[in-house]
Amino acid sequence: MAYKPSLRRAMKPVDADLDIRPVMNLMVVLIPLLLAGSEFVKLAVIEVNLPPRQASGGGGDKNEDKPDEKKDKKLQLSLAVTKTGIYIASPSGILGGTPDAEGDETGPTIPLNAEGKQDLVALKIQLIDIKKKIAGKGFKDKKTITLTAERITPLQTVIDIMDVVLKYEEGDEIKELFPKVQFGKVM
Amino acid sequence: MAFKPSKSKKNVKAADAPLNMNAMMDMMTIILLFLLKSYSTQGVLVTPSKDLVLPESVRTERPTKQVTVAVSTSGAIVLNDEHITGPEAIMQPGNLIAPLSFKLRELANVAKDEEANYGIPFSHEIIIQGDQFLPYEYFSKVLYTCGDAEFYNMRILSVSNASRNQ
Repeated sequence: MAYKPSLRRAMKPVDADLDIRPVMNLMVVLIPLLLAGSEFVKLAVIEVNLPPRQASGGGGDKNEDKPDEKKDKKLQLSLAVTKTGIYIASPSGILGGTPDAEGDETGPTIPLNAEGKQDLVALKIQLIDIKKKIAGKGFKDKKTITLTAERITPLQTVIDIMDVVLKYEEGDEIKELFPKVQFGKVM
Repeated sequence: MAFKPSKSKKNVKAADAPLNMNAMMDMMTIILLFLLKSYSTQGVLVTPSKDLVLPESVRTERPTKQVTVAVSTSGAIVLNDEHITGPEAIMQPGNLIAPLSFKLRELANVAKDEEANYGIPFSHEIIIQGDQFLPYEYFSKVLYTCGDAEFYNMRILSVSNASRNQ
């Protein structure tokens, strides 16, 4: 006896589209929600912690402004931003700048770069060099630097220099350079 | 005379053409992934002033909600969305900006009272928003005034751009 032909063979495939309307509804809700919570411009802050005001006034760290404590060796490193470049100085003098035509090193320590802007790369190299030289010599203010600028210097230039002054990268490690920045003013 | 109805369209059946959603689904999926990546659970705590172009920085430390001073390039000062003074005050000789100092001292006194009465600590923090072209002379006066009014933990607001300069 022959087998009866299978009925399944006669079944026609049903043309059933996937119903994606629920997914679309979900998307329509999710996208405005995420758009509202998205952050396209990320803000950041640069910390400047001044010491509390003293009764006598004036700036400087209260622990670092005691000249009678002879045991404290102080570096008192300062940066002065001018339109010709950046001067790096301490009370012992200005760090030697580029010699001029007469051979005098009176120019800025870090002159402007070829584009006429402050040479931040050279500044970083110079500051890292200073940091390594002063390491282990017992300077109490080894983390402090005083930043001074000409009165017309734009804030962007000051921020750029602070970015260089605060930290630096050595390999994959981020190290502190001069994290305590004080602002000075040319009188 | 009325027109005779067209014979050609008489027996034409409307074709059953479903809208193809696949392309839109692809687009939605990409947008969803992009938005999820840039989603911030923290929200916007500090709103920069409209007319300021903030300087860019490589820093990534996030701002928190604090007293905010905005200074325009011309020297106009806004404290917590309240206009304090025009450029005339910052142009005065001396480091102290009198109207700003007055308002900041008021805020500091309120914060100190809250600390004494309710135990809410006074953080002495202030956020300074300056235009990227703000002259250093004005910027240093704002710093001095804030420090003088006991807001000595200052935060300079900038746009985070980690690829800048480095």
